[in-house]
Amino acid sequence: MVVLLLLGIACKEKPAGEASAPSGGALIGAALSLTGAAAVYGAQQRAGIQAAAEEIAQGGGPKLQVLIEDDGSTKEQGITVFQKFINRDKVSAILGPTLSNTASAADPLAQQAQVPVLGISNTAATGITDIGNYIWRDSLTEAQVIPGAFKKAREKLGFKTAGVLYGNDDVFTKAGYDVMRKTLADQGIKVLDTQTFAKPDRDFHAQLTALIGVKPDVVVVSALADNAAAIVSQARQLGWSGPILGGNGFNSPAFIKNAGAAAEGVMVGTSWNSLSQEPANQKFLEAMKKRGVNPDQFSAQAFTGVQILAEAIKRAGGKTGREEIEKGLGLVKDLDTPLGKFSFTPSRDAQHDPSVQQVKDGKFQIVQ
Amino acid sequence: MDLFLAYQSLIAFVGINGLLALSVYATLCCGQLSLANAGFMAIGAYTGALITQHARGVPFVAVLAASALLPAIIAVPLGLPVLRLRGVFLAIATIGFGEMVRLFFVNWDYTNGALGLVAIPQRTHLWTIFLALAGALYLLGRLRGSRAGYALEAIREDETAARTMGIDTTAHKLAMFVLGAAIAGVAGALEAHLTFMVAPSGYGFGRVVDMLVQAVVGGTAAFFGPVIGAAFLTVLPEVLREAGARLGFAPGPFRLFLNGAILLVVILFLPNGLVSLLRRRRAA
Repeated sequence: MVVLLLLGIACKEKPAGEASAPSGGALIGAALSLTGAAAVYGAQQRAGIQAAAEEIAQGGGPKLQVLIEDDGSTKEQGITVFQKFINRDKVSAILGPTLSNTASAADPLAQQAQVPVLGISNTAATGITDIGNYIWRDSLTEAQVIPGAFKKAREKLGFKTAGVLYGNDDVFTKAGYDVMRKTLADQGIKVLDTQTFAKPDRDFHAQLTALIGVKPDVVVVSALADNAAAIVSQARQLGWSGPILGGNGFNSPAFIKNAGAAAEGVMVGTSWNSLSQEPANQKFLEAMKKRGVNPDQFSAQAFTGVQILAEAIKRAGGKTGREEIEKGLGLVKDLDTPLGKFSFTPSRDAQHDPSVQQVKDGKFQIVQ
Repeated sequence: MDLFLAYQSLIAFVGINGLLALSVYATLCCGQLSLANAGFMAIGAYTGALITQHARGVPFVAVLAASALLPAIIAVPLGLPVLRLRGVFLAIATIGFGEMVRLFFVNWDYTNGALGLVAIPQRTHLWTIFLALAGALYLLGRLRGSRAGYALEAIREDETAARTMGIDTTAHKLAMFVLGAAIAGVAGALEAHLTFMVAPSGYGFGRVVDMLVQAVVGGTAAFFGPVIGAAFLTVLPEVLREAGARLGFAPGPFRLFLNGAILLVVILFLPNGLVSLLRRRRAA
C-alpha cells in the first residue's frame, strides 16, 4: 500500500510533458555524477557542457536545451535518469554518463529505445560502444592514449626495464593497468616487479620500497589523482629520482597541486592538449576562464560533446529528431574542437591525436 | 504509459531493495546483527551472470535457484562459527566476510577483476522481481505465530533464557542466516540480469549499510516493514530530484542533504520505523 502511495506521490508531482523541447531547438539530456565518488569529474563536465551550449547559442548554431541530472555515481540512479530522459523528457540525445560502469548499465536502455548516446568520459576499452550502433563517445580509450605516450617517453628517456604500481580495486586504474601491461610487453620493456594497492590506502612505502629495490629504469603508475599525488610524493621521499610515467588518473590539476614539487618531471599521456594554440581550444579556455573553472580533460571532452551534437544536427539539415541526430553523428568529420580535429572511428569511438605532457615548473607542458 | 516506462526501473529497484532489506531482516528478527549480505548478494550475482554467459539455454528459474543455493551453502560453514558471536562482534566478523568476498572478485582475473562482467543479457522482468518478493514475504510472514516464529522471538528477547527452555538456538539462528543468504543471492542475480553488468564495487560495505538502514527505517516489528523502508528510501531520492527541479535548485548535493535530513527526522520521531505509523492509525 505504502509503496503504491509513495509512487503515487512521486508520479503526481511530475506533470507529463512539462519539459518539451523549445520550438526549433533540441532537448539534450546529460547524466553526470555530480555527487558521490566521481563528483570531481561531474563538476568539470557540467561546466564544459554549459559553456559549450552558451557558446553555440551565441554563435548562431542550432539551439540546444541541455537538461542536466545527477546520477549519484551509481548505476541504479544512472539507469533511472536514462529512463526518465528517454520516456518522460523525450530527449533527442543523451550525453554521459560519467562513469564507464554506469554506462555499461544504462547505455543498453538507450540502445533499445534507439536514442543516440554520446559518452564524454568513458574510457573502458570494452562494453561501451560495442553495446550497439546508437552508442558513441568522444573520449579516447586508454588503449588509444597509453601506447603512444609510452613510445614518446621512451624516445625521450630511453628506458628498458620498468616497475609497475597500480590500484586493483578501481575500474579506471585497473583498465589503465591492463593496457600498460600489454604496451610494455609489446614495446619489449621488461617488467621487473608489479605491486598493487587499494583506493583507501594512504601509505605506499612498502610497495614503493619493493619497486625501487629492483632498480627499474622507470616507475609506471596507474592511480586516481588523490592516490597519485601521495604515491609520487612518497616515491621522492624514498629517494627515487628516476622518471615516473602516470596513467589517465594523473590528468588533473589536483594532482600537481597536491604533489607539489614532487610532481616535477612526471610524464602522462592525455587526450587534451591544454596548451594547444588552435582557435577552438583558445575559445574553450576563454569560456572556462569566464566561469572561473580551472579546466581539465573532462571539461574539454564535455565541451566537445556538445559541439559534436550541434554539428550532427547541422549535418542532419537542422532536424532534431533522434533518428536524424543518429544519422548526423555518422557524418561528423574533422570537426574543430578543443581536443583537436575530431572524427569518429567506424566503431563509433573517438579519433583524434593524443599528446604527452610532462610536469615542469608546477604546470603540465606538452612534450613535442 | 510513458510515466510507467520512465519509472519502471525505479519500481524494479524498489523490489530488489525490498528483497535485500528482507534478507537483513531474516537475521535481525532473531536478534542477530549480521552484515554479510552484500557478500552473499555478490556471490549470487556473479553465479547467475556466469551461468547466463557461459551456459546458454539454462532457464532463468534454474539460474536463480543456483544463485540462491551457492550463498546458502557457503552460509552454513560460515554461520556455525560466527553465530557464536554476539552483538557488535558478530557485525564485525560478518563485515569481514563481506570484504573478503569483494576482494576475491577484485582479484579474480576470470571475472575481469574490478572491471566486472558486462553485457549480461537482460532476463529479469518486473513480475520476476515481485514474484520473488512475494515469495520471501510469504515465507517470513508464515513464520510469525508458528512454533519456529515463537522460538525466534524468544531468542531475540533473551538467548540464554531461550536455550534453557529447550530451544535449539544454534539451529534456529543458522536457519535464518542461511535463509537471509539465499534471499540476498536471488536479489543479486535479479539485479545483475536487470542492469546488464556486475562489478565488485557494487557490493562494498556501503551496500550492506543501505540494506540495514532500509530495514530499520521500515521497522522490524512487522515482517513487511523492511519492504516499506526499502520502497521509501528508494523512491525518496527521485521525489527529491523532481521537487528540487521544481523549486529551482541545481541538481547536486542539495538532494543528498535533504535525503539525509528526512532520514534523520524519520529515525528521531519514528524509532520503531515507518510501520509504527500504520499501527498508530489502527489504534486511533
